[in-house]
Amino acid sequence: MSEKIVCDHCHLEFSKEVMIEDDGHYFCCNGCQGVFHLLSEEGLDSFYDKASGVKLAPPTQQYEDSSNFDAAAFYDKFVKINNDGFYEVSLIIEGIHCSACVWLNEKALHKMDGVIEANINFTNNKAHIIWADNVVKLSQIIDMIRAIGYNAYPYDASLQEAHANRERKDYYLRMSVAIFATMNIMWIAVAQYAGYFTGITQDIKTILNVAEGVLATPVLFYSGWIFFRGAYYGLKNKVVNMDILVATGALLTYIYSIYITIIENGEAYFDSVSMIITFVLIGKFLEVLSKKNAADTLDVIGKHIPSEVNIIRDGKIVSSKLHDVVVGDIVVVSSGEKVLLDGEITKGSGTFDESNLTGESDPVFKTVGQSVVSGTTSIDADIEFMATKDYEHSTLSNLVQLLESAINKKPRIEQMANKLSEYFSTVILVLAIGTFIGWWLWPHSFDTAFMVGISVIVIACPCALALATPVATLVGLSLGAQRGILFKEAAQLETMASCDVLVLDKTGTLTEGKPRVINEEAKTNFDRNLLYALASGSKHPVSIGIKDYIYEEHFQSYVHDTYEQIASQGIKATIGGFELLGGNEKLMKAHGIEIAASNSTNSLFYFAINGQLVAKYELKDTIKDGAQELVDGLKKQGIDVVMLTGDNQRVAKNIADEVGIVKVFAQQTPEEKANYIERLHNEGKTVVMVGDGVNDILALAKAHIGIVMGSGSDIAVDVGDVVLLHDSLVSLLDAFKISKTTFALIKQNLGISLVYNAITIPLAMAGYVIPLVAAISMSVSSLLVVGNSMRIRYKWSKQ
Amino acid sequence: MDSWVIAMMLGASIFLGAVALFAFLWALKNGQFDDEEKFLNAAKFDNEDDLNDAVNAQRKKEELKKAYKPE
Repeated sequence: MSEKIVCDHCHLEFSKEVMIEDDGHYFCCNGCQGVFHLLSEEGLDSFYDKASGVKLAPPTQQYEDSSNFDAAAFYDKFVKINNDGFYEVSLIIEGIHCSACVWLNEKALHKMDGVIEANINFTNNKAHIIWADNVVKLSQIIDMIRAIGYNAYPYDASLQEAHANRERKDYYLRMSVAIFATMNIMWIAVAQYAGYFTGITQDIKTILNVAEGVLATPVLFYSGWIFFRGAYYGLKNKVVNMDILVATGALLTYIYSIYITIIENGEAYFDSVSMIITFVLIGKFLEVLSKKNAADTLDVIGKHIPSEVNIIRDGKIVSSKLHDVVVGDIVVVSSGEKVLLDGEITKGSGTFDESNLTGESDPVFKTVGQSVVSGTTSIDADIEFMATKDYEHSTLSNLVQLLESAINKKPRIEQMANKLSEYFSTVILVLAIGTFIGWWLWPHSFDTAFMVGISVIVIACPCALALATPVATLVGLSLGAQRGILFKEAAQLETMASCDVLVLDKTGTLTEGKPRVINEEAKTNFDRNLLYALASGSKHPVSIGIKDYIYEEHFQSYVHDTYEQIASQGIKATIGGFELLGGNEKLMKAHGIEIAASNSTNSLFYFAINGQLVAKYELKDTIKDGAQELVDGLKKQGIDVVMLTGDNQRVAKNIADEVGIVKVFAQQTPEEKANYIERLHNEGKTVVMVGDGVNDILALAKAHIGIVMGSGSDIAVDVGDVVLLHDSLVSLLDAFKISKTTFALIKQNLGISLVYNAITIPLAMAGYVIPLVAAISMSVSSLLVVGNSMRIRYKWSKQ
Repeated sequence: MDSWVIAMMLGASIFLGAVALFAFLWALKNGQFDDEEKFLNAAKFDNEDDLNDAVNAQRKKEELKKAYKPE
């Protein structure tokens, strides 16, 4: 047994013989040796103390030339120039294992001339680098990261992400100030209230008032700035919103309290000022937390489209920007690549996945002279085609434009709390002014009349109203998250609760999208290893279904001598002298094999050896568990269920009958699906669409709520509003239940705060409100709303 | 007890609280809490070398900013 030893760079263990010995150090490979020496030369070897034995990946990978990072197209897309004229880029660093890695990368970059700032986030491995481009180039920076054993690639730090982070930080700052001041005002207020009941001298009271006033000032003008801004925009648009009520209430109370402090007579209400602002600010923050940016989604669509294509110019393959390709250019597409332009094939042939456009999962075979459509993907075709349209007029570009306009014009149902607060605010303001005038005309001093008027606004504390919706939706969101249902925006819970029509996609949503064998008819005994070998070679859903069905532990692996896939027919192969045929009726007939006619509605797969039919399989796409319950449950709630599918009428009808869906539309293109949803909108219906594929995204974007299966395509998941992580129809029904519960909860909460106000406002108008009552009233109404929401949460979590 | 004692104590305690609050706000603005892992590890890697490096980096940045003339 040879001695094991660890590599001095990556700390992986190897036998001593295979290691490279270098001056008392041992390395597993040249890569590790190189990095080790680089770090020693740069004086960064304290990295190894910090990393203390953490195992790293040996830097053995060879990278392409990094000079393409300096290309203008690349700078255009990823590099920003900041206000000082420096360049900024966001990178994702690969290979970060520990905090020492972060330290090393930052140190190494900081040591480079021209790098001004390098900041790496350990949690998400994202790096933000600022440099002076006349001193150092981005390619050199990336070379450095690669030289020390990591890799970096750029990502598009979208403006929206930065904007959302900035807004959240702004709220944190304002809330910190508000909470700090309110907590301090509270302990001063304890002394005030104690004094109110047991007696207090006026000079002590004034001192306490001044202290409270000092603390309340930043709360009102810094933390409460958001409400003044909101009130300003509300007035500009001639809407009385909640911000106006909060801003006027807090400001008037603040001015009145200052007046009281100066005349040294009466009660100041600084505690009410800061409490209103703090509570409502928290409510607003909860709403901001659960908001999705429409612009975010748009960004994502662009990200899925590569910006460069390979074209042939002067007999050489060069890469060109997508927008620079003109009609007549020859474009090269190799297998696995996306087709980005429309055109006609001039060389080569192969199969294409057109499911993005048609929803049909069967690959389509194309050869010279046939047209290719942008947005499809080449499965195994290496072709050259002549562009017949430029990018702006291509099918793909059209689709993107349609999608963008659908997302921008996404219908929204106004939230109940917003509608309500408009009326509420108006009524309260009118009542307060009425009370003030009433008291003044009845012989009372201006002081008294003003104070009573103000107390109406203070007591009609909008805190409970502001908290009612955010707290309830937060409960709904967390209930959903526990069950694998991701609502991207809180407001969607409310919209979903008022849904009239549910539109379902078939494949992948209602069914598994994977055909399974339901019946096997073997004519003779045959070697199943042969069938397994035949089916393993293809990615077609039917062959996968066959493979899964006959799979056993001890299959021998045969090697195909010849193998040929015949589009829309099947597979032909020879293995060890056996001639194998597997496929549909057409394939058998083409090879002169007689088969009995069948009137089955399911897919049939025939298998023949040496021209002799040996077995027949019947396959069917299985319906997901809970489909029946879902349809029944929704019908009971009065929701219409419709099925849209790209599949043919016969298959669609078959599935629909089984689960009890009456309205079925078959052979729908993506545009037709979207149009159908648009028609429902025009009838005034609230539509929820459930889908999973790229062919559904237009419809998903058009619907009030787009629900996506978690296993669906990336774009669909990005466009969707709700994601079902477990792909199950049970959780879809749960999503409906949760949204209904949440909506009921919102209504309850709003009801509580309104009833509360209905009781306390007349008291305030009659002048019975003393400061203690005002303060308690404020907290109790908020506590009731929060408590009620907790009750619902507790009830659900017991289930 | 004279009322100025209360005023002074209130003033002093609010001032001390405010100092702490401003320190917190400053840290929040500078992104010290953006990455909780790094925030915790900062204590582990705190030594003289790193402090020197940080100062040098700051100087380099200033120099570059002075020398750099964006076109």
